[in-house]
Amino acid sequence: MARKGLLITPDLCIGCRACQVACKSWNDLPAEKTKNNGTHENPPDLTGYTYNKIRFIEKVVNGEVRWIFVSQRCRHCGEPACVQVCPVGAMQKDLDTGIVFYDKNVCIGCQACRSACPFDVPRYDKQGKIGKCHMCIDRVKAGLVPACAKTCPTGAIRFGDRDELIEKAKAEGFKILHGEKELGGLGVVFALSQPPSYYELVENPQKPEKVVALGEMLKILVAKGLPIENSIIKEFLS
Amino acid sequence: MSMKLTRRDFLKLSIGSLVLSSLGINLEPVKAYAKELKIKEAKETTTICPYCSVGCGIIVYSKGGKVVNTEGDPDHPINEGSLCPKGASLYQLANNPYRVLKPLYRAPYSDKWKEVSWDWALDRIAKLVKQTRDKYFMVKNEKGQVVNRVEAIAHVGSAALDNEECYILQKFLRALGLVYIEHQARI
Repeated sequence: MARKGLLITPDLCIGCRACQVACKSWNDLPAEKTKNNGTHENPPDLTGYTYNKIRFIEKVVNGEVRWIFVSQRCRHCGEPACVQVCPVGAMQKDLDTGIVFYDKNVCIGCQACRSACPFDVPRYDKQGKIGKCHMCIDRVKAGLVPACAKTCPTGAIRFGDRDELIEKAKAEGFKILHGEKELGGLGVVFALSQPPSYYELVENPQKPEKVVALGEMLKILVAKGLPIENSIIKEFLS
Repeated sequence: MSMKLTRRDFLKLSIGSLVLSSLGINLEPVKAYAKELKIKEAKETTTICPYCSVGCGIIVYSKGGKVVNTEGDPDHPINEGSLCPKGASLYQLANNPYRVLKPLYRAPYSDKWKEVSWDWALDRIAKLVKQTRDKYFMVKNEKGQVVNRVEAIAHVGSAALDNEECYILQKFLRALGLVYIEHQARI
């Protein structure tokens, strides 16, 4: 199986959020209490029960209001810092498909992955265990399309072999492919008609330099049975 | 062809892995992904989305009579597998702790809902419809033209009905003599 990917084209997104619903439906994720934040964006943030969220960005460009819809989710890095930092091997990268997935039963909830993530994606459920987009690895391994890409009515989320998707986006005339080269090539690539900053995407994402060393240190802590405080992680990375 | 691991090879390997681990490279074997697909061996039934008149095709996956998943039907010409957020939430139509399973009745001047049986509710509706129709059925209008209609009952709904249900409903309402037949999408 070649490396799989999602090609997201914000310009095609109509903000219907069928992907959010399909994600929750497939992964049996409960609804959460929310509140009106003055925008149509809902829920307010990614959580351990919300793996995929459409951001509703309002901008004034040349005196005109623009409403931009951008998917916020795990980008499935080519060199995932979260996998390198995880002291118990709960976070895994699938060699076959390049998908970054996880095992909740192994997770100890140290939250090092969120600190290491260049996109601030990992979140935790009520038990403190990791919950994030796993590109529906169960479906992909069975030859199916991830729930979000399957349901998307406009083709703003497309799934396939990563190389083919990138080629397709280039053939369609997209000059900016956010995630094509960044961090070893991201599994989730955005096809953009404007610079990434226009879509409020992280420009030049970098993983923390000491991420491998941090992983080793956390492993020693776990081996010795010492608790991992988030403050230690923050201090180490700063 | 079988390969034999010599003592020398073995030593090289173990020293090599020691060096590698000191460099901080993860040598743990990659775990095989082993979660079973929840729709494996589930029964597939095709249906049409009940929400709007677009009529998207949906596959309902069930196991032992319980719905385990719903998703767009890729072979359906209308939606080719895609769905809108309402259609994508169809699973909850069957699996939902908040689903109302019995008719609720609020008596005149009461401030409470009461669970009633289907038989009781349908009988009451039928009785009241008959009563109102008998009282207000109009054979002729003011000009003496034959109209055979009931102006005292109106009908509203329903976007959630399919074509065939709408046809039967329309027949039924016209037979009663209703003229105020409306659909919420137009209000």
